[in-house]
Amino acid sequence: MLANFNFMVIFEYLPLFLSGLKSTFLISLVTLVLALITGIIACSMRISGIKTLQYPAIAYIEIMRSTPLLIQIYFLYFGLPSLGIVVPEIQTGIIALMLNSGAYIAEILRAGIKSVDQGQIEAGLSSGLNYVQRMRFIILPQALGVTVPPLLGQAIVMVKDTALLSLISVAELTRSGQTMTSERFMPAEAFLTVAFFYMCIYFCLKYLADWSQRKLIFREVY
Amino acid sequence: MIEFKGVNKWFDKLHVLNQIELKVQKGEVLVVCGPSGSGKSTLIRCINKLEPIQQGEIVVNGMSVHDSATNLTKLRTEIGFVFQQFYLYPHMTALQNITLAPVNVKKIAKAEAEKIGREKLDRVGLAEKADAYPAQLSGGQQQRVAIARGLAMSPEIMLFDEPTSALDPEMIGEVLDVMVSLASEGITMCVVTHEMGFAKKVADRVLFMDEGKIIETGKPADFFDHPQTERAADFISKILSH
Ligand SMILES: Nc1ncnc2c1ncn2[C@@H]1O[C@H](COP(=O)(O)OP(=O)(O)O)[C@@H](O)[C@H]1O
Ligand SMILES: [Mg+2]
Repeated sequence: MLANFNFMVIFEYLPLFLSGLKSTFLISLVTLVLALITGIIACSMRISGIKTLQYPAIAYIEIMRSTPLLIQIYFLYFGLPSLGIVVPEIQTGIIALMLNSGAYIAEILRAGIKSVDQGQIEAGLSSGLNYVQRMRFIILPQALGVTVPPLLGQAIVMVKDTALLSLISVAELTRSGQTMTSERFMPAEAFLTVAFFYMCIYFCLKYLADWSQRKLIFREVY
Repeated sequence: MIEFKGVNKWFDKLHVLNQIELKVQKGEVLVVCGPSGSGKSTLIRCINKLEPIQQGEIVVNGMSVHDSATNLTKLRTEIGFVFQQFYLYPHMTALQNITLAPVNVKKIAKAEAEKIGREKLDRVGLAEKADAYPAQLSGGQQQRVAIARGLAMSPEIMLFDEPTSALDPEMIGEVLDVMVSLASEGITMCVVTHEMGFAKKVADRVLFMDEGKIIETGKPADFFDHPQTERAADFISKILSH
């Protein structure tokens, strides 16, 4: 079957794929940074113990996690203009991905913080450490180790989710495959190539995740 | 030094502290005992405001513990707390565990804090374990580090919540020995424990709690040998047969 593949066409379309890869990479990077910020804010609100901050954060997180990403993307894509807010597709896409990933990241961060024994926090309280000091010296150093691997896992999911942006005509990697398919009708070659590039990104991130697992996870046994 | 005035506390409907009146003098060693769930932990956790109360007042060194105007940090630096489960910070060495609060709360210079920290480790017989992580220490050693961590703040009061209950029997002695020597140094101590030997040796007073109430207080010898109430007698016979 592979013999029937027309690899020459792939080379012909390589510049298109590379520019798609580049925008997928950039969209992912920007989204990841924004999603991290969103996640940190949502997590802080959720664990603040202040109801007026907690409830909106819970509502946000649960809505994002309970509805399909594609629906969220369409909602913003069609919904924002009807509210009179017109932004380019790529920004709509980034906002949707940011909101979606941010919710998952908020929960990952919360799990990391909750993994620190409440007793240690009380030990910190008893010796007069304030909130910031408890976070900085007791909670975060331990939470970080357990948080980084799942964060990278979420990053991997998010990169693959950027493929959905092709449906609102963002010129990213998947869109390159669609373009080649519609021009030459060679979907197998096109999407095989697209898949290959996603795999490249995946293995880079996985390598990072494994490395961080070895380096950062705090070990009970030394 | 520590005074409870008409303190009441509820967990939802559970009346966990019922009209507590108690005075602990400076330098006094108070042992608190009673059946599981009687409110002993809650009682001492209120002293440094790990727990809120709903009624009454607790005064420590002239500071009203639950008054929002009280400087809670200052209050807590004057009180050391030792937990049943030690709660050392597992990502820090013994010495780092001990110097964390002196450096960051009392703003003592790091070198000075380490000097004090090593003194306290020596004090609990663990001078050579300064650079060990909690996971490398036995339960008894961890609890001694936790005591050293409390002492490093030079508190006037030390609170202990069943400090030997999580330990294997062979390690109980080493922790009690440290506590006995502390008691002879004039630190005010409130100790939740069922270790009768410890109570008889160093306690000035034993307090018996049940269902959130102080049922009986007395000198250790009187209390253990001639309890006034049936509930106390019952309890003592149980820990004896144990
Ligand atoms: N945070 C809490 N929320 C609800 N109930 C609690 C809490 N802490 C303790 N209790 C309850 O209060 C009672 C007294 O608890 P505690 O002070 O720990 O008793 P003791 O130390 O004497 O065993 C128990 O019935 C316990 O279940
Ligand atoms: Mg208890």
